[in-house]
Amino acid sequence: MIAVTEAAPVVEAHQVTKWFGETTALDQVDLTVPPGVVHGLLGPNGAGKTTLLSALFGLVLPDEGTLRLFGRTRAEAGAGWLDGVGGFVETPRFYPYLTGRQNLAVLAGLDGGGAGSLIDQAIESAGLASARRQKVRGYSLGMRQRLGLAAAMLRRPRLLILDEPANGMDPAGIRDLRAALRRLARNGLTVLLSSHDMAQVEEICDSVTVLHHGRVVFAGGLSVMRAEAPEPVWRLNTTDDAAAVEAARHLTGVKASAHDEGGLVVYAAQDRLDAYVLQLGRDGVALRGLQLEVTPLESLFFQLTGDPAPPGPPPAITEES
Amino acid sequence: MTLAAGRWPVYAAPAAGERRSGALVVYRLELLKISRMIQVRTMAVLGIIGPFLAVAVLRVQSATPGDTAFGQWVHESGLAIPMVVLGFGAPWVGPVLVAVVAGDIFSSEDRFGTWKTILTRSRSRGQLFAGKALAALTFAIALMVLLTVTDLVAGLAAGTQPVVGLGGQLVRAGPAAGLVALSYLSDLPPLLGFTALAVMLSVISRNSVVGIGGPIVITLVLQVVTLISLPAWAQMALISTPFQAWHGFWAQPAFYGEFLWGLVTAAAWFVICGVVSWLVFRRRVIGVAS
Amino acid sequence: MARLRRARRRALAAAGAALPLAILLTGCGGSTGITAGPLQTSISGTFANLYVLQQAEQGNPRPSLRSLHTRASCQRGTPATPQDGSGNWLCLITYEIAGPGYPVIAKYKVDVQTDGCYAADGDGPASVNGSPTITGPHYVQLVNPLSLIDGCFDIA
Repeated sequence: MIAVTEAAPVVEAHQVTKWFGETTALDQVDLTVPPGVVHGLLGPNGAGKTTLLSALFGLVLPDEGTLRLFGRTRAEAGAGWLDGVGGFVETPRFYPYLTGRQNLAVLAGLDGGGAGSLIDQAIESAGLASARRQKVRGYSLGMRQRLGLAAAMLRRPRLLILDEPANGMDPAGIRDLRAALRRLARNGLTVLLSSHDMAQVEEICDSVTVLHHGRVVFAGGLSVMRAEAPEPVWRLNTTDDAAAVEAARHLTGVKASAHDEGGLVVYAAQDRLDAYVLQLGRDGVALRGLQLEVTPLESLFFQLTGDPAPPGPPPAITEES
Repeated sequence: MTLAAGRWPVYAAPAAGERRSGALVVYRLELLKISRMIQVRTMAVLGIIGPFLAVAVLRVQSATPGDTAFGQWVHESGLAIPMVVLGFGAPWVGPVLVAVVAGDIFSSEDRFGTWKTILTRSRSRGQLFAGKALAALTFAIALMVLLTVTDLVAGLAAGTQPVVGLGGQLVRAGPAAGLVALSYLSDLPPLLGFTALAVMLSVISRNSVVGIGGPIVITLVLQVVTLISLPAWAQMALISTPFQAWHGFWAQPAFYGEFLWGLVTAAAWFVICGVVSWLVFRRRVIGVAS
Repeated sequence: MARLRRARRRALAAAGAALPLAILLTGCGGSTGITAGPLQTSISGTFANLYVLQQAEQGNPRPSLRSLHTRASCQRGTPATPQDGSGNWLCLITYEIAGPGYPVIAKYKVDVQTDGCYAADGDGPASVNGSPTITGPHYVQLVNPLSLIDGCFDIA
């Protein structure tokens, strides 16, 4: 749904192109991020996500196209290009011979203003209070990600740009990060994060841009994406696989086939799956296991990026009305 | 505390006046980092006690260093000693010590991968470049001043007899002290030229081994080159020649031609290396593998 | 496009590296600045000053610089070698201590460096520059100023 009065986009990339020698890293990429949303930048490794985010930060200068942050190009903004912008590209790197707190002090010093007073607050919020006097060379990857987040928040950003922020975090940490970003977005912060994992992005982003070989293959809200997505993929374990496959043939909207390693691979929307399970019960086939393997969006993602087919052999086409 | 429960700051625009002093902010931070380096602290200590050690060593032995100018007078004139130290050490001590800092100040960020960390703050590339370059130059100046003062004091402590100049003339202690100070300080322009060279090597190579080792190798090569009979104009173009331009101050009559040419040479090396460094750094790709 | 940029950068780097090499190779591109003229002027003046110093240190009457009329004649290697460049020179310094009719010739083997500084080793007469030390007042041994002469001249 498009609002009648559109707020100016926070990030605007128009036909951005970047070559590295013979390789085209970005090919006429368009990206628009309106304020207050969490926008995902998706793509397999090597799709150009990091290059695009680096270009936003001014670490890489595009060969063609324009980039606007808060409506200003880098030339117009000058040294104030990254005002209100925080984040990191690839794994955050710090001075290994300084402690976490000292590193933040150096960065706060570079920022100027009152950033120094925010250091302790940022460290605590990032969950690093116990490690702040430890030299960064002893930090784990997850701790470095948290320190990167703290360093980004020191800038009091209106736009947070994060490159694979869940990298190196355990599932609890990822959930925590998701909740934090959601809360920040509700308070008005715009978040642009990149990931190669659709499943993570699904639960947090409002809209996505999918990159493949430097090109945009999809851009839009998640609801639009879901509407275009094929059915999810399920793994089933039953007491009688053969009968279960047979039963699926008589149902519309359900495609099932046997998996090499035992069990079934089933393509069906949620409601069709429910009907299928009930039918199996009526047929005397008990269900021993039911698992969602691939979400609809992941399916679409694999299709868009030409990745190898989702787990399980493709089902035979059944002519069912 | 979890991330979600954390108290995160709200957006606030930066104060208006901060932008203008950007390079100075970087400069102060870099000087702080330099002063904490263990190599720099070692150099400072050696720079203070070294000259007095040289005086002691020269006094203890009865032989005199015959290979350098003023060498034969070390036992009879205290102020000959800092001149011997200068003559012996000038072409390489300064460049090597300066290379340790200037050859590392840019490439250390490459080593730690922290360019992308500091380039994504409120400082432009120009401000970071200027701040770091100024810090390297400040170190060179501070080193030169320290060595001048301590060598002069050590020489005066060794004795205030008149010194025999390079024209056979006798120079009393007062004017001699002035000439010693001027001789040392005349090595500052080529030292700054060398600083720019070290910075350039470190920016281009992104590697501290090249940034520090490169100037050292170049110094050694130039020492060998000066043994070759080059035409006078070629000699004047080498960055190592101005380190000896103080000879003219002690001649009779004193001549300053070599010193003035040395200024031109040092300025040329300084400007060329500085400009090349900036051009390479300005549009460089940071981080993403190219 | 990027290929062009890289090729141009490589060409510039090659030119930058070749330039000092070209300078070195054209070694015979002009005078080294070390010729007989400046050397003679420098060493004769320096000798005169040091002679006065030597006499003063020995407690003898100090001659005036002008009365010494020092002049030098220097030669590099053999007459056949080019008289331009660093290396071993031989200098004969003529001076007068007892009037113009009685010139004294002091010989020096001079090692001239490429920067225009030289170390002249006294090679006779023995009473003038043969001994490395002289006896000063109170029988103190002092460095003989004329035994080894350090000097520099302008090559720019």
